[in-house]
Amino acid sequence: MARFAGGKAPFLRASDEKDYGTKVMMKDFMIALLPVILFTWYKNGIQVYLDGNIGLLEMFYPLVFILLGGFISVMMEGIFVFVTNKEDRSLKGIMTKLSVSFSAIPGLILALLLPLYTPIWVLIFAAFIATIIGKMIFGGFGHNIFNPALLGYTVVGFTLMGVINNAGGLFNASEAIIDSYAGATPLGALASSGQINYDILVAPYGSLWDFFIGTIPGALGETSALAIMFGGLYLVIRKVIKWYTPVIYVGTVFGLSWIIGALSGDAGLWFPAYSVFSGGVMFAAVFMATEPVTTPTNILGKVFFALFLGVFTVLFRFVGSLPEGVATSLIFLNIFTLPIDKFTAVIRTKRFTKPGGLYFGILTGLLLVLAVYTLVKAGNMYTVYIPYLGWVI
Amino acid sequence: MIFQKIKGVFIDGKKDLCKKSPLKEYLSPKYVYIPLLQRTSNLKAEVKVGDEVKVGQVVATNEQQMNVRVHASVSGKVTAIKKVWHSSGKMVDAIEIENNFQNQLTESIKREENVDSLTREQLIKKMELAGITGLGGAGFPTHIKYKTKAKIDTVIINAVECEPYLTCDYHFITTYPEKLLKGATYMMKAADATKVVIAYKINNKQIREAVQPFLPKFPHVELFPVKNVYPAGWEKFIVEQVTKKTYNGLPAEAGVIVNNSATAITFADAVEMNIPLIARPISITGEGIKKPGSFYVPIGTKVSELVELCGGYVEGLDPLKYNYIAGGPMTGRAIFIDDLVVNDTLGAVIVKPVIEGLHPECLGCGKCADVCPAFLTPTEIKKAFERKDIKLLSDLNANKCVECGLCSYICPSHVEITEAVAKGKDLLRKGAK
Repeated sequence: MARFAGGKAPFLRASDEKDYGTKVMMKDFMIALLPVILFTWYKNGIQVYLDGNIGLLEMFYPLVFILLGGFISVMMEGIFVFVTNKEDRSLKGIMTKLSVSFSAIPGLILALLLPLYTPIWVLIFAAFIATIIGKMIFGGFGHNIFNPALLGYTVVGFTLMGVINNAGGLFNASEAIIDSYAGATPLGALASSGQINYDILVAPYGSLWDFFIGTIPGALGETSALAIMFGGLYLVIRKVIKWYTPVIYVGTVFGLSWIIGALSGDAGLWFPAYSVFSGGVMFAAVFMATEPVTTPTNILGKVFFALFLGVFTVLFRFVGSLPEGVATSLIFLNIFTLPIDKFTAVIRTKRFTKPGGLYFGILTGLLLVLAVYTLVKAGNMYTVYIPYLGWVI
Repeated sequence: MIFQKIKGVFIDGKKDLCKKSPLKEYLSPKYVYIPLLQRTSNLKAEVKVGDEVKVGQVVATNEQQMNVRVHASVSGKVTAIKKVWHSSGKMVDAIEIENNFQNQLTESIKREENVDSLTREQLIKKMELAGITGLGGAGFPTHIKYKTKAKIDTVIINAVECEPYLTCDYHFITTYPEKLLKGATYMMKAADATKVVIAYKINNKQIREAVQPFLPKFPHVELFPVKNVYPAGWEKFIVEQVTKKTYNGLPAEAGVIVNNSATAITFADAVEMNIPLIARPISITGEGIKKPGSFYVPIGTKVSELVELCGGYVEGLDPLKYNYIAGGPMTGRAIFIDDLVVNDTLGAVIVKPVIEGLHPECLGCGKCADVCPAFLTPTEIKKAFERKDIKLLSDLNANKCVECGLCSYICPSHVEITEAVAKGKDLLRKGAK
């Protein structure tokens, strides 16, 4: 007779296989960032070098900057583990902890969110906020409330944007010498002009095709919808993310923007397309609204999250004073991930009987009220009602 | 709302381990140990130490709870009542019978003369007297199912065996295809139904090939292939596939009774020969077994003897690095000491290595909720359990969990989520009282 090992059913686990598991999913996430990183390197490095505006060494700067973001995050987390974990301070112990913490990903995403000429000390500060405040303080991977990279970016965005702008900011050397940009991103142009007008918003930056490809000014990772779509497609095929989260989010922003454009007198499809491709909507849709830890878990929760996110992005962008709105709405909604998860789980099991129906009513009601409010307010801002009023009178 | 249909997950069956070798009979062990526990009912021993018993003699009963009775599986002398390891993971009392190798049959075991004229009541009575229970793993006394007041139109024979590794039903059916059809027919009569559907896994072509030649004699029987997914053998899944109807409590609501294929074969013997449930098929398999195989053994046989017949464990097996699982790998239990006896619900013993690794925390990917065949949200049930929030547990239907194990299986972070949900289910049951 022999004594055997214990354990709990099931004794078969998909994660026992080499090609399945959280580690593989996170590796896939990094692979999905690759097209974005390569594109931004091409746009801000290679192309500028070919234009003759920077030297050969400077050509590698965007790549180095992004990798540095990942490296700094890993280092910070390693130091945090070293400081807090008194029992095992050996290199091996720290490496084991880091291997299940996936700290490089927030670092890479953070670097992609920042403008090209962000000073390195600002990057280090942002990485500190992201990994230590955003993640490790909450208990590490799986316990964080806020998307770490996004928290780092938002804090820096609200406090140190002036420093970043002074250091060169968004424009790479080729873009900085184009006069027609007038020192603003496409979305900045909307915020400063307050007009929905193709000639002001799109024409200075090329055509909508350039918006799609990504050869417009903007933060490192967010400009190219094409590269982001490649990454997203890879993630969907590898079953790391669900296809509907990005689709619903982008769709909501697109639809609401279209209505706002139409209310202000221009029903052209260029405006919603501009709205989706100009800022960080695409990047957030694929890489941040789908981030598993800080967004709802079940299908219905993901759907509601994406819908709310779309409405809030439009609300903050067109009604609030923020040019972007994407990061703020995501951080804001991260807080509500837990209740959304709970409510939608009840709806899933109880359907429309009590209390599922009640929760469903509350969520959809809230969504509708917010959407209508957004449309009314945004319509006001872009001076819609005045001509109609005149016509009525 | 999202359209809800059970999809199931493809799991590598690993059934080839013991599919090739045929079903072996091992009918005369030196000792058998009849456990005094059937499903949840404790049994009262009807024999004393020193008594001589014959094959098929009633040795233990529980008349209060569902009228369960258990029979001696060999003839010989009762030598002791002692504790043995039971597939429920506990040690239970068992009647030890020393085999006298004379195979004396009790008087009631004789050929039934006019089988075709038996009425529904007589058939159900036979089921009860023969102590037939569900051999698929739940062990629910079969006669209770047939005493339903609902109108039954179909009897479904579950020959799916969706758990990985297990091949005992497969071997039992391919060895006794005609008995399966006969037993199913008697079951149909016992339920006053008009149709029998045998559900089998589509990749088990051998079952179809074995049963097909006898089908002309049984025109009311229909073969129904189901997808090769887990949990395709779940009662509700089969009923939904076959009848396109669903139910909340019992399959009888959809006019259906579901029985395991091994139960049907045993029932055929019970009707024609009056042989009670005294033997069952069992697979001894897993990576830790030298020559895995399936056996037809008397209830109460020591599993260690069967392992010896398989050539023992593989060379240099370190028991602490292996699981000794009673039942299927998805729903079974780890037994610490390899001193198990075969009882009516034990379909397999699997010896399989424990794979260790460092796993990250739950990342909230939601795959567990996606695969749940009962459409629950395991992560939220886990959280509600950790907060001891009984109201939320009931809002989340934690009691609907069937503990199929898919959520833990699919979890990329190796979280013991099935265990947490099962605990939540228990808490809800206790809290609701």
